[in-house]
Amino acid sequence: MSALVQSLRVVGYSARNAAADFAATYTWRSWTFGWVGRMLSQVVFFTLAGRVLGAPDQARSRFIGNAVMTCVVEAMMVVASSVWERRAGTLPLLVASPADLAPVFFGRSLQWIASGVATSSIALLALGPLFGIDWTAVQIPAVVLLQLLTAVGSYCFGLVLGVLVLNAPQLRNIASNVAYLAMMSFCGIQVPVDYWPAPIRLLAAVLPVTYGVRAMTALSAGGPAGAVWRPAAAVLLLGAGWLAAAFVAFRVFAERGRRDGSLEFGQ
Amino acid sequence: MTAVEAVALRRTYDLGRGRGGGQREVVALHALDFRVDEGTVHGLLGPNGAGKTTLCKILATVLLPTSGGVRVFGNDVVSRTRQVRQSVGVVFGGERGLYSRLTARQNLHYWCALYGLPRRALLARTEMLLARVGLSERSDEKVDGFSRGMKQRLHLARGLVGDPRLLLLDEPTTGMDPVAARDFRLLVAELRAEGRTILLTTHDMAEAEAVCDRVTLIDGGRALATEHPRALGALVSRNERIEFDSPTADALPGLPALPGVVAVTTLSPGRYRVETTATEATKAVIGLLLDRGATSLTTTRPGLEEVYLKLIGNRGMEVGR
Repeated sequence: MSALVQSLRVVGYSARNAAADFAATYTWRSWTFGWVGRMLSQVVFFTLAGRVLGAPDQARSRFIGNAVMTCVVEAMMVVASSVWERRAGTLPLLVASPADLAPVFFGRSLQWIASGVATSSIALLALGPLFGIDWTAVQIPAVVLLQLLTAVGSYCFGLVLGVLVLNAPQLRNIASNVAYLAMMSFCGIQVPVDYWPAPIRLLAAVLPVTYGVRAMTALSAGGPAGAVWRPAAAVLLLGAGWLAAAFVAFRVFAERGRRDGSLEFGQ
Repeated sequence: MTAVEAVALRRTYDLGRGRGGGQREVVALHALDFRVDEGTVHGLLGPNGAGKTTLCKILATVLLPTSGGVRVFGNDVVSRTRQVRQSVGVVFGGERGLYSRLTARQNLHYWCALYGLPRRALLARTEMLLARVGLSERSDEKVDGFSRGMKQRLHLARGLVGDPRLLLLDEPTTGMDPVAARDFRLLVAELRAEGRTILLTTHDMAEAEAVCDRVTLIDGGRALATEHPRALGALVSRNERIEFDSPTADALPGLPALPGVVAVTTLSPGRYRVETTATEATKAVIGLLLDRGATSLTTTRPGLEEVYLKLIGNRGMEVGR
C-alpha cells in the first residue's frame, strides 16, 4: 500500500471520529437554529453596519466577505479541536503508532469544513437576494466549490496553529478566535486589504481567505473567468503550502515532545 | 532472544532555571541496566516516581533517552523508531486513551487503520480482538457508556491491533474490580502463551506474583534487583518459614531450642511463625507441631510485598524523585 493511499485511509477513519464529535455536539435543530442562525445574524449585522456607517457601496462586498467568512470561522475550529486529542489521552498513543500525525489530525476535524461550507452556502444563496446578489443556477456549483476551497485552505492554515497550541492547550480558543478576527480585519472582509500598511498586507497575502473572497466577489459580479479562477488557484496553492507546513510541524512537534517529555501517558 | 535491552539508560527532565540561575533537572532513570527475555512476562515494581513509566515511554518511542541505549528486538529506539513502533503495543490504565464518542468496534477500526492493516485484515482483526476481550456483544455501543473494566478490556484490544511482539502494560488494572482484574490476568497469561513478551508495571504485589516470570524492583531510576518473584524472597531471608495456629500456645514450649530454629515470632493472637535454616529442621518442627495439635500449618517464603518493603522501604505517601 502506497504512503498516499495509507494516509488517505487514515484521513477517512479519522473523519469518522470527526463525524461522531459533530453528532455529539449538535442536533439538526440546534445546528439549524443555533449555529446557522447565529452565523446568518453575524453576516446581516456586519452588512447592515456598513450601510449604517455610510458606506452603502460596500454593502455588497461586506456581504460576500462576511458570508464567505462563516465557513472560515468554522474551519478555524480545527485549532481548538486538535487539542481534543490531548484531552482524550490519545496523543501519546498516536505518536507511538506507525502512522504520521498529520493525516490523523487532518481527518480529525473535517466536520467543521462540512458544516462551514453548508453554513456559508445558506448565507450566500438565501441571504444574497436580500442584498441585491442573485445567483444563476450555473453559478451555484461554483459558489459551493469556491467555499469548499476557501474552507479547506483555511483549515490547513488552522492545522498549523493547532500544532502550536497542542503545547499550550489553554490557549486553544484564544488562538482560533484571534486568528479569525485577524482574518476578518485584514483579509478584505470588513475593509479593503489596501487600507492596511504593507506588513499586514503581506500577512493577508498568505492567507487563503483573502483570495477566496476575491474569487467569490468576482463570481457574484459576473466577472471574467480569469478573475474567478486565478484567486481560486491561489487559494489552492496556499492551502497546499499550509498543509505541507502542517506535515512538517506535526513531525517537529512529535520529535520535540519525545525530547522534552511533554507526551505524557494518559494525556 | 532478548526482547528489551537497556544499557546505562539515563533520562533527565529539565525543570528550567533555579533561583541561582543554574539549570535544574530531575533524574528519572539513572544509568539503568535492564533486560527482558522474549516470551516472558516481566514485572516492573516500584513506588511512584521510581522511573517505571519513564522506561515504558522510552520503549513506546514517545520519549527519547538522555543517554545510554535501548533496543527492542535488536532495534534501537532512537535510530530505528519505525521498526520499534511496529513491534510494540502500549496499554495504560485509567479512563483515557479511547475515543468515547465512537463505539468499541469503531475505535478498533480506527487504530487498525493507523497500523496500516488492509480493509479485510482490519475487519477480521477487530472482530477477533472484540471476541478475545469479551466485548463482541457490546461492540456497537459508544465507549462513553462503558464501565472501567470494559474500557480496560478495550484498551488491551487496542494495544493488540498491531499484533505486537512486545506489549507494554502500564498499571493496567488500576481501578478495576477484583473480577475484572482476574480476567485481565488470565488474558495476560494467554498472551504469554502465544509467545508475546509483556512488560507490566504495577503496584500490585499479588498481581506481579501471579503473572510475572521475572520481576525488577526499581527505585530512584535504578534497578535494585531482578529475579523470579519467588526467588526474590531470598534477598530478604534465606530461612524457611512455618506458620501455624495454636490458640492456647501449647505448641510453643521448647521450639526455639530445636536445632536449626532461628526465630519464633507471634504474627497475631494464636498465630505464630517459626524460621529455620534448613529443610531438615523444618521437617522436625512440623513433626513436633503436629504432635502438639497445632493447626493451619503452612510453609512460606518472604512474599513480594515483604521484599518490596525491605528493599525500597516504607515511605507512606512520599513520592520519590
